[in-house]
Amino acid sequence: MTLNAYLMLSAALFSLGLIGALSHRNLIALLIGVELMMNAASLNFMAFNHFVVTDPVIGQIFVLIIIGLAAAEVAIFLSIILRLYRAYHDIDAEKLTEQRG
Amino acid sequence: MLEQAVVYAFVALVLIGGFMAAFSRQVLYAIIGLGITLLGLAGLFLSLGSPFVASMQVLIYIGGITVAIVFAMMLSIAMSLHPPAPDARKFGFAIASAVIFFGAVARLISDTQFQIVSPAPEEAWTVGALGHALLTHYNLVFETLSLVLLLAIIGAILIARKEKTTS
Repeated sequence: MTLNAYLMLSAALFSLGLIGALSHRNLIALLIGVELMMNAASLNFMAFNHFVVTDPVIGQIFVLIIIGLAAAEVAIFLSIILRLYRAYHDIDAEKLTEQRG
Repeated sequence: MLEQAVVYAFVALVLIGGFMAAFSRQVLYAIIGLGITLLGLAGLFLSLGSPFVASMQVLIYIGGITVAIVFAMMLSIAMSLHPPAPDARKFGFAIASAVIFFGAVARLISDTQFQIVSPAPEEAWTVGALGHALLTHYNLVFETLSLVLLLAIIGAILIARKEKTTS
């Protein structure tokens, strides 16, 4: 596949993630949309690294950082969902409009 | 380099999983779609020359993050069992913004001339070179990431622990 094909695939994946993140009301479905968008970014990094940049290391490091940050993000997200569910018995993004410290 | 047909099979996996993840109302199906997408992306990373990143994608993303999301779903099961009726207006806005975004980026991609260079030789992609770079030139990045992960663990415990009841 050419570079343009990889970039198109990544743009399509990002758009699907955008649909998932904008249209759902369940917090977990929102998280899945965000994960799709992050993966589209890492596919872009790998494709550019393979076709345009000669240094083979830097793209892989970027993707590893994205994977690590996603792991940290999911850990925090899981605990927030636990807390919200304990307090409200609901994880509907449209009903959770009140925040108290 | 993998066979071209295998690469297209991975592309199909990515797209099928992405559509499942974006459009299904049942959260479990969306999670399975996410897993399929991640598997296809791991295959594409393999075809782009990096077996190490592909295996990390499978280990951490599919083995760790997807399973953590399944746990989140099981711990907040009520909404997952009874998904609310979709809001047609919101869905329309989401589709429209995604289509506009994709159109703009696709136009941009097809208008840009990238200077394709010949890919680096196979032996430059070894895990040894990656580890050497991570511990020398990109050491700050490596340490920052480990600090972020540590803070995420502590923060997750702090947020999720039970409050002491004073009464």
